[in-house]
Amino acid sequence: MAIAGRVGAVLTAALVLGTASLASAQPSLLGLSVEGEVELGGRVFLDEPSDQEKAKLIEYRDLDQQPFGAFRLRFFRPDETYAVEMGGNKIGQDDQEFFLTAEGRGYWRFNFDWDQTPHVYSTNARILATETSPGVFTLPTPRPPLPAYNSGRTLDEVSTRWDTARLGFALTPTPTLDLTLEYTWIHKDGERPLGVAFGSPGSDFMEVLEPIDQHIHDFRIRGSWVGDGWQVQGGYTLSVFQNDRNSVIADDPCFRLGGPLPNGCAGSANGAPERGRVSLAPDNMAHTLSLAGAVNVPFWRTRIAASTSYSLRIQNDTFLPHTINPSLASSPSLALPQDDLDGMVGTFLFNLSATSRPVQPLTLKLGYRIFNYDDMTDDLVFPGHVVNDRTLVNEPRIAGRFDYTKQNADFDARWRFGQPVALTAGVGWERWDRNEHREVPQSDEYMGKLTLDVTPTDWMVGRLAYRPSFRRISEYNTFAHLAHTVVEEPTPDEEAQSQSVLLRKFDEGERDRHRIDLLLAFTPTDAISITSTFGYRNDDYKDSRLGLQKAEAYSAGLDLGWTPVEWLSMTAGYVYELIDQRMRSRNREVAGGRTLDFADFDWISKNVDRIHTLHAGAKATLIPQKLDAVVDVAYSKATGEVDDSNPVKPTSGSAAQRGNATVRPFPDLVDSLLRIEASLRYYLTKSWTLRLGYIFERFDQTDFRTDTLNPFVPGSASVWLGNDLKDYTAHILVMSVGYRF
Amino acid sequence: MTRAAWTPSRSISLVLFVASLALLLASCKPMQAATSKAAVAVPAPGAEGYVGADTCKGCHEDQFATFARTRMGRLFLHAPRNQQEQLACENCHGPGKGHVEAGGGKGNIIAFSKKDSTPVEQRNAVCLSCHEKTARLFWQGSPHESRDVACTNCHKVMADVSPKSQLAKATEIETCGQCHLERRAQQMRSSHMPLREGKMTCTSCHNPHGGVTPANLKESSVNETCFTCHAEKRGPFLWEHAPVTESCTNCHDPHGSNHEKMLKVTKPRLCQQCHVETRHPTRPYGKETNPGNSRFILGRQCVSCHVNIHGSNHPSGFAFTR
Repeated sequence: MAIAGRVGAVLTAALVLGTASLASAQPSLLGLSVEGEVELGGRVFLDEPSDQEKAKLIEYRDLDQQPFGAFRLRFFRPDETYAVEMGGNKIGQDDQEFFLTAEGRGYWRFNFDWDQTPHVYSTNARILATETSPGVFTLPTPRPPLPAYNSGRTLDEVSTRWDTARLGFALTPTPTLDLTLEYTWIHKDGERPLGVAFGSPGSDFMEVLEPIDQHIHDFRIRGSWVGDGWQVQGGYTLSVFQNDRNSVIADDPCFRLGGPLPNGCAGSANGAPERGRVSLAPDNMAHTLSLAGAVNVPFWRTRIAASTSYSLRIQNDTFLPHTINPSLASSPSLALPQDDLDGMVGTFLFNLSATSRPVQPLTLKLGYRIFNYDDMTDDLVFPGHVVNDRTLVNEPRIAGRFDYTKQNADFDARWRFGQPVALTAGVGWERWDRNEHREVPQSDEYMGKLTLDVTPTDWMVGRLAYRPSFRRISEYNTFAHLAHTVVEEPTPDEEAQSQSVLLRKFDEGERDRHRIDLLLAFTPTDAISITSTFGYRNDDYKDSRLGLQKAEAYSAGLDLGWTPVEWLSMTAGYVYELIDQRMRSRNREVAGGRTLDFADFDWISKNVDRIHTLHAGAKATLIPQKLDAVVDVAYSKATGEVDDSNPVKPTSGSAAQRGNATVRPFPDLVDSLLRIEASLRYYLTKSWTLRLGYIFERFDQTDFRTDTLNPFVPGSASVWLGNDLKDYTAHILVMSVGYRF
Repeated sequence: MTRAAWTPSRSISLVLFVASLALLLASCKPMQAATSKAAVAVPAPGAEGYVGADTCKGCHEDQFATFARTRMGRLFLHAPRNQQEQLACENCHGPGKGHVEAGGGKGNIIAFSKKDSTPVEQRNAVCLSCHEKTARLFWQGSPHESRDVACTNCHKVMADVSPKSQLAKATEIETCGQCHLERRAQQMRSSHMPLREGKMTCTSCHNPHGGVTPANLKESSVNETCFTCHAEKRGPFLWEHAPVTESCTNCHDPHGSNHEKMLKVTKPRLCQQCHVETRHPTRPYGKETNPGNSRFILGRQCVSCHVNIHGSNHPSGFAFTR
């Protein structure tokens, strides 16, 4: 692929340059005028990170040392009634992209786009298992000792690539009618890390690779009809997801066949299965019909817009059996109630908004929205199940469904006090209605809004907004969580082992929120722009004895633009963000079937993220029409602090239980990225340019959870891929020749 | 158990659907529009007060040349489809006679600059006279419109600055980042979607002209927007993870995060905010002195075992480990 890509880049450049030379020799080509540009260049590393360090550098890019090309060609009639444009970028690279557009100006338009986007997860993973077929990972029998996994072969790259093709055709037969047809195909191909667990909950696992071979087909047809003061538009979308892999199978590294446990495996591995199988995402599809329209009504200069859509999601992939373990598979309790889910979910949306201007300074806005999620799938009951291919449990389980309806309503009134000041006051409401399988059947959130927009001079804009909101719930049924999977009436002990009654989930529980946003923008001259922003959000999760209790976030930013002289422009900016969440939890042990809910086993965690982001840049015309320079610098540093504490020292229970409840240090998670890019562009002639560029990147990350991670960690019977994102430094030189015609 | 019986919410949904159809069909008759410029009769080129594009070119040659190379310029100046487009410069700036007779200046023409005294609503109405359909259907009452954002704050009509959409800056993120500084900064975070690599843009998910969700998303909900590219998460699954069905943003920050997979909070703490069952979910894992606990904190934490966290279609997958 690399060689073919390079050849492709060179051939493309030759073709375009050939076309260009023909065009330069005569003003038109096949009766069409032609213009365009082509660039052919190469990239060289002055200091290249090793293959094992590169993962983050090439996460979404192809930066190999190689030639690359870019071009754009436009063919058009002199009267501009017809034009064809085509182009490509990063030609020859794994992240190349192309486009083709043809249009009869104002009447029809055809477009084709092709994009390749890599996503690299790792370049230093190690695996001992052999992938005998896609998604099947085998180990030798008897199993090797766990330390041997550190010597597994290194995988060059664990990655996927998304190839996206888009075809579109738009027709405007009359100024009032638009029709569009679009087709998008996304093919995801590659692999990514996946763990396969063996044994009882909390048992050991082995990381392998999930094979990715997925297709998304998206067909859309839209029509829009415009009249004098009204519009209607409708559409249909079909989205099909197709997964060419349905499972991953991996041998259990701690399986033993009559012999001793492999060295490193814990005693809990006794009875471990030979292998395990994990299901992958099933095929699915969705049909969506939508209709929208708007009309201008003379009364109070009102515009009413409404939209409605209905979407039907369908999934009926054949179930895998409960287990791949042959000693369990024949159990009668594992008979499946049906071959597939026959899943069907309908989502309905209706949205209505009306904006009125009864008198000149006053604008009123009213909105209503309802979104209904209706899972029409039957509840399936399974008489038994298998825990991670190891343990048969003859207890029925029901796959309960979740339905909900979300409604929003809001009303705003905006009054303009002359030109420079506008004040908006508003109220809003959000209601959630959920079915019996979630803890909160109904919640109401009441919102207020106060915004002030000022434009005291033509060079200053200020926008201030304050939005409080208060969410209140009807009741909190902790045991809804249990009820959506458990069939038989739980015993008091079983109930106690489920969710704590003190927990309030943050997406459902009561909450008071206050939010402030401020923007100030100054443009005192055409050469200077200054923008500053400030945002603050405070969430208080009331009555949350356990769970998320408080969340606070604020950000402050400043952006400057200055063009002191005509040939020089500069920009700079800085944003600081802080996100602070406080949660409380409790270590809940079980002894002899009884749950030990000791209050002194509580622990608190403060999760604080601090992020600094800087950017600066300059563009200069050093020699008019001869030499341009561009410099861009971007820097970001993020620190994630996890500050844990026990409100009181654990004293209850056994020593081991107290140990489990006691917090331990959680070193900060830190990452930073510095990128500097500088380039000079020299105009040899009006058409020919030379570009010389330099890129510096440095990435650092500290994360104790991955920094020294090996496949085998002494004392643990799990096996990782042992990959982590390494620090890297890269110095890259880029040179290119460009021709414009 | 049989498929769920007809519920009140379904009845309401059906009534609203039929009512909305009726409303839309009933609204489909010509009505006098008070704000749309299209409602006003378009003068023919050469009508009283109009001087023609060649007159504008006489003083504004540079701007004329750059405008002529834009998409709109090519249409207006070379291939106008109707009387309105034939007006060319005066289609947007208004009749130019007063401006010419005054020897120029911004007082008697719509200039679209920051010194222009024309109210933003009136300036926007000029653009909306042609561009109020499809993606701009919900412009009026949208967050940007209600805060007096002018079309020309984001779009530059007179010259091509961006490859597409005639934006005010070279890229979408720079254009949106004029006001949304925090969002522009978030693209630099270690866990991010490929915006800064040029593979996605703000409008991959958002419609800045207004939409049916509070965040101006292109689809009908957060999840529908995400499923456009991440259709493998759509399901329905046999075993659903409830907060996933309601909103991807319960756990993820799509604009970027310093935590893996764009999660809002690092694992296992994110999961522990909602899971206080017994045994291993509830322990305050950190840098473990007990290596036996390493499997809960090293590598991918909870999803080392709970791999199908967005939902599982496996008969024994109710804990998302299969």
